[in-house]
Amino acid sequence: MWIFEYRDLIQVLTISNLKIKYQSSVLGFAWSLINPLFMMIILYIVFSGIFKISEKQFALYILIGIVTWRFFTSATNLGMISIVSQPGLVKKIFFPREILVFSSVLSCLISSLLEFAVLFCILIILQVSISSSILLFPIIILIFFGIAYAFSLGLSSLFVYYRDLNQIWDVLLQAGFFLCPIVYPITVIPEKYLDIYMLNPLTVIMEIFRDILLNGIFPPLWDVVYVSLWGLFLLIFGHYLFSRLKIRFAEEV
Amino acid sequence: MTGPSDDKETPQAAIVVDHVSKKFRIPLEKKYTVYQHLFGIFKGGYYSYNEFLALDDISFTVNHGESFGIIGPNGSGKSTLLKLIAGILYPDKGYTRAYGRIAPFIELGVGFHPELTARENIFLYGSILGLKKNQIREKYDEILSFSELKKFENMKIKNFSSGMTARLAFATAIQTDPDILLIDEMLAVGDEEFNYKVVEKINEMKEREVTIVFVSHALRLVQQYCSRTLLLSKGKIIQIGDTSPVIEKYLQITREHQ
Repeated sequence: MWIFEYRDLIQVLTISNLKIKYQSSVLGFAWSLINPLFMMIILYIVFSGIFKISEKQFALYILIGIVTWRFFTSATNLGMISIVSQPGLVKKIFFPREILVFSSVLSCLISSLLEFAVLFCILIILQVSISSSILLFPIIILIFFGIAYAFSLGLSSLFVYYRDLNQIWDVLLQAGFFLCPIVYPITVIPEKYLDIYMLNPLTVIMEIFRDILLNGIFPPLWDVVYVSLWGLFLLIFGHYLFSRLKIRFAEEV
Repeated sequence: MTGPSDDKETPQAAIVVDHVSKKFRIPLEKKYTVYQHLFGIFKGGYYSYNEFLALDDISFTVNHGESFGIIGPNGSGKSTLLKLIAGILYPDKGYTRAYGRIAPFIELGVGFHPELTARENIFLYGSILGLKKNQIREKYDEILSFSELKKFENMKIKNFSSGMTARLAFATAIQTDPDILLIDEMLAVGDEEFNYKVVEKINEMKEREVTIVFVSHALRLVQQYCSRTLLLSKGKIIQIGDTSPVIEKYLQITREHQ
């Protein structure tokens, strides 16, 4: 298995990604933490007015949504360009191409974990009661990572052949932002659409995160199984697509 | 790298290339975008590309410990052949096999990141070339002293001259210690003194019976290093054998074209 055989390369590539990302701006790594907080404040001001909710719970509700969503967008955006942005490597050196995608998504996960750490501090400061359900957090993050990696596998291999995919993905992500319960409570969804609405695995993941971080309860077991199955399905599909398309990477990049 | 096992191969073979053909697709209208692609389907020109036969039914064997040259005019398929051997490209027909640890790169310095320091780049580049972290740590001082860049350890690569970058690349790459080395164009990387070290290193590798496949336009170097040479033209083998007559043949067909 290449993940094990090339673990040193994965580690070095991931750390290099992070170094490059953080040293190219003055505040570097601090930005990635300030950014979601600013977004939370703005969205809270706007949407607490719209939904007439003004409790601190709702601000945290939004923040969890944002941090979760940010991982998905940054991972898929960086993952998508991971093959195309390294034409030299793809054309001149042999190694499993999946590594480029994997290490990109992994570096986004590490950034995201730092954001979650800040979120965690805020929860403690605001005295939200943390329960033992927090122990589920690593498992959920792992499933979430699998989903983001699977998306990135598919996107990165398609992007080699279709160079405007990033534009399309941008629009889809924009739609996704409002299709997921990030800035509004799920209660605003009309009853008759709720079943369809809850099919979205990202929605379910956000709800699980809120259960374990904010509400301090265990999520329904079925929800966890449901997103795991999605992860598995997407990984198989993403991997299949990538293996089919990687054959001409070195020619098309 | 794939294909049926073949019993008639001699055990000394380092590289076997068996009936390899490679086609490249050249789109008639570049359809790189989803929009253009969809539009193309409606117009009915879905698979509108020409095929260009870069390599046509190539078969040869490189023996263990041999230095093997590949020469030919531009566009004759030399680099394509090297990429197929390295596993970077996939053949459409036939197969290539390498017996022994094959160096995964065909060009030096690809994989360096300009925004990282020399130190960070040694680890990055070394890992890309397949070295383990502890191997790099072990060889770290040797890499720096060989490339004569000890003073610049913490400088970003973007501030390096091209000669310095190339020296660092070569010094790192030789640590991979492969059984088979593929080189696309010669390593004319530094000043005279460093070039001398490069030559020494390559001679040392030859003595250790490292198989070297060497693509070049520098016929003098091919003559100097390679015992056998392959002449390619338009994707076909024109001649293969001892270096001198093959180079003569190459010069002859070049003259005929003029």
